[in-house]
Amino acid sequence: MTRLQIPIQDSTLQNGLRVVIAPDATAPVVTVGVYYKIGFRLEPQGRSGFAHLFEHMMFQGSENAPKMQHIKLINSSGGVLNGSTMYDVTNYYEAVPSNALERVLWLEADRMRALKVDDENLRNQRDVVKEEVRVNVLNQPYGGFPWLDMPPVAFRNWANAHNFYGDFADLDAASLADVQKFFRTYYVPNNAVLLMLGDVKPEEGFALAEKYFAPIPAGATPPFADPAEPPQREERRGQVEEKFGTLPAMAIGYVMPPRRTTDWCAMALLDQALHGGRAGRIHRELVLEKQIAVEADGGIDDIFGYNGPSQMTTKILHKPEYSAEATLAAFDEVLREVREKGISEDELQQLKVKWRSDYYSTLEGGRGGYMPRYGLMHLLACFTLFDKEPQLVNTILDGFLAVKREEIQNVAQKYLLPENRAIVLRTPVTSDAKEAA
Amino acid sequence: MATRAAEVSFGVPALTPERAVSWPKRTRAQLANGLQVVLAETHAIPKFHGELFFRAGNALVVDRAPTLAEMTATVVRTGTAKRASRQIEEDLRRLGADLGATAGQDTSAISFAGLSECSEPILQLVNELAREASFPEAEFERERRQKLEEVKLERTSPDFLAGERLRKVLFGAHPYAAISPSEAQVAAYRREDLQGVYREIYTPENALLMLVGDFEPQVMLKTIEKVFADWEGKKPAAKEAPVPPKPQGRRVYLVHNPGSVQTQILAGCHAITRKHPDWLRLGLTNSLYGGAFNSRLVMNIREDKGYTYSPRSSVHTLRLHGYFSVSAAVRNDVVAASLTEIFYEIDKLRAVPVPETELADAQNYLTGVFSMGLATQEGLLSQFSTVELNELPSDYLETYREKVRSFTPTDLLAAARKYFDSANMQIVVVGDRAQIEEQAKLFGEIEIFDNQGNHIQEGFCPG
Repeated sequence: MTRLQIPIQDSTLQNGLRVVIAPDATAPVVTVGVYYKIGFRLEPQGRSGFAHLFEHMMFQGSENAPKMQHIKLINSSGGVLNGSTMYDVTNYYEAVPSNALERVLWLEADRMRALKVDDENLRNQRDVVKEEVRVNVLNQPYGGFPWLDMPPVAFRNWANAHNFYGDFADLDAASLADVQKFFRTYYVPNNAVLLMLGDVKPEEGFALAEKYFAPIPAGATPPFADPAEPPQREERRGQVEEKFGTLPAMAIGYVMPPRRTTDWCAMALLDQALHGGRAGRIHRELVLEKQIAVEADGGIDDIFGYNGPSQMTTKILHKPEYSAEATLAAFDEVLREVREKGISEDELQQLKVKWRSDYYSTLEGGRGGYMPRYGLMHLLACFTLFDKEPQLVNTILDGFLAVKREEIQNVAQKYLLPENRAIVLRTPVTSDAKEAA
Repeated sequence: MATRAAEVSFGVPALTPERAVSWPKRTRAQLANGLQVVLAETHAIPKFHGELFFRAGNALVVDRAPTLAEMTATVVRTGTAKRASRQIEEDLRRLGADLGATAGQDTSAISFAGLSECSEPILQLVNELAREASFPEAEFERERRQKLEEVKLERTSPDFLAGERLRKVLFGAHPYAAISPSEAQVAAYRREDLQGVYREIYTPENALLMLVGDFEPQVMLKTIEKVFADWEGKKPAAKEAPVPPKPQGRRVYLVHNPGSVQTQILAGCHAITRKHPDWLRLGLTNSLYGGAFNSRLVMNIREDKGYTYSPRSSVHTLRLHGYFSVSAAVRNDVVAASLTEIFYEIDKLRAVPVPETELADAQNYLTGVFSMGLATQEGLLSQFSTVELNELPSDYLETYREKVRSFTPTDLLAAARKYFDSANMQIVVVGDRAQIEEQAKLFGEIEIFDNQGNHIQEGFCPG
């Protein structure tokens, strides 16, 4: 078996900023990322959607690179850039020809040190974000399903359960003072990690990090709301109206075992057994064999990227001639079989080979056809911010490859239970099959 | 027009000297049966990516039914003489492999990726799918019923509705007009038709096998010969397609999508194919107009006005005809304002030479992102296959940057005048008729359709 080893070096500046470098000179391209340990889970109450709106503001100008200059300076250096807001982190990243490394670090340092935005920028980006919500959610068939529909049904703690894209009233209420406060609280070097991957010599990378980021003063350790959930003891159900789509949809989410436990590794392989494409048991039974569903997929989203409650979620679009209850019964039958019989040794071996292969692709992978090493960046950042161990990138695979058959059956019996799940029905207003939950 | 004055940066570090961009060497071969092979090695991860292309797709067989080649590809992966569907899927997993079979207008393809240590059995499976697909009756029936649900569903997506209408307007009786079948056409698909398409298109003389990844090319070539050498079959006969219409004057096509809380704008005109000598300068002009984040259109209607989240323009490259398009999903009350800005930026590029500094920025952008393709196996595969499938010069990749950098403001002015055909752009808007019809009418004579693709009679407004 060939095992991939990524050379990784890391260091921490005086102000607490962690710096991680993974050199690879294959192509003259370098990927730079800055991750802040703040996501939409921990945004303030009464300000739903603020973490994401704030992410947009980070492209609106900083002291030495005003409005429109961030984007212009990256693009005109031959690079691409973006940012995204997740549950527990927000990232900003660029992939550029390696001769632009210093320029990118200067830009990232400038906005970490001195974001400079005004009311006009805020109004502009509030409008842009509303159109983003319309194009992705309000004007799309199955928009936001299930990632926006599931949390309010599954969780009880506001941190986990609110609308992450934001209610428009909350977006409208956001002020420039909120932006400045959020920036001062969470966007401090001691709450972030800087990553450089690809065509960079580690000693040069560390020297540049020192030059541009060391002058930024550390801040107070940010306060974080506790995302812990009260124990769940009953199945939870909710229903949402589908305005455009023609098929009834259903999402079923099971609460995941805690991060980096034996159960968590076993659950990841069980997820592969259940949701691994056309070979996965759920797709095979519901789409290929019983032909109840048109789509049945999903699984654990971004397994390494969460630092709080999360779920393994199945998403099903089923034919209108089958009721929601009949569809759910077929789904339950798949899970019952795993709980009762477990999986064969042969199936486990297949799952492990596929898991290893997928893991390598994640590390190499672009995002949407661009952004080389996005996956490696994301894993290094999460392992640094959540675990303080970037080297986990090279060792975490061991835990998954060591999973035994009994452990798979054991997590199926322990976690795949009605009292550990939430179900959301998304029911078309025009469909013949109108089901009560 | 921007309402906010541009500001400048202070103390930006200069770019350091560039490292040379060098593309991995390609090993080419052709087997006795006509199969073309292109291999390139890169060793960052212990995997490889491959694609077996056939140089024909939906357009070749559209007289039988729309997207018949795509349906054929879908059923190809569901069974061979030796393996049932479930066996295929489990074997792929055992080999750490992913596989997809698809077809577009001009090509059909089996794409795959997997661990290098499993390359031979993966190629054997690909070989089986390409030669011995058995089109099991039950699998075909299931996929057909599945497709019926999909064609109903796609009519609820604003993006799909806009694309469908523009293609009909630009291509008329040409095969490229059809991007999806009707429910009745899907119901009429027959298994024998799929088998006919398969026999015609999936032949070695019509095929290109491309592999990129962690392997030794000479060893890989021997494996390929072993696996594919005894395959036989001729190229399908080429067919004459009707000439697409040349729409004159701006016209507006409103697709009424009741309840829309936003309007999808898509405007387009005919342009050129990838092989055309003007292709690179058009690509650069497009990049500067709306092909990049830093482009004029994005800066105007997103960063300055906040009308939209994701405006963009593109040059679409079908093998026989290319077209230019610009799209944005905008707030319902700014449809007219957005179209005004879309045309303002087009007309400005047609009237005023681009400033030298802006041109240099766009040249840097395009040449920089071109090199991003070097960093992943998929990126390399995509660049190499673009060259092969469009029959571009063999030094295309190596000379691209130099050529893009040679263009002047005069070249871009000429490209914009020739290909951003402002006066004859066809405008599609998908949204709620009551909220946008008056605004849309300002831009040309209007025709109205429902979301099933039917003309709506004048004076009749459903919903």
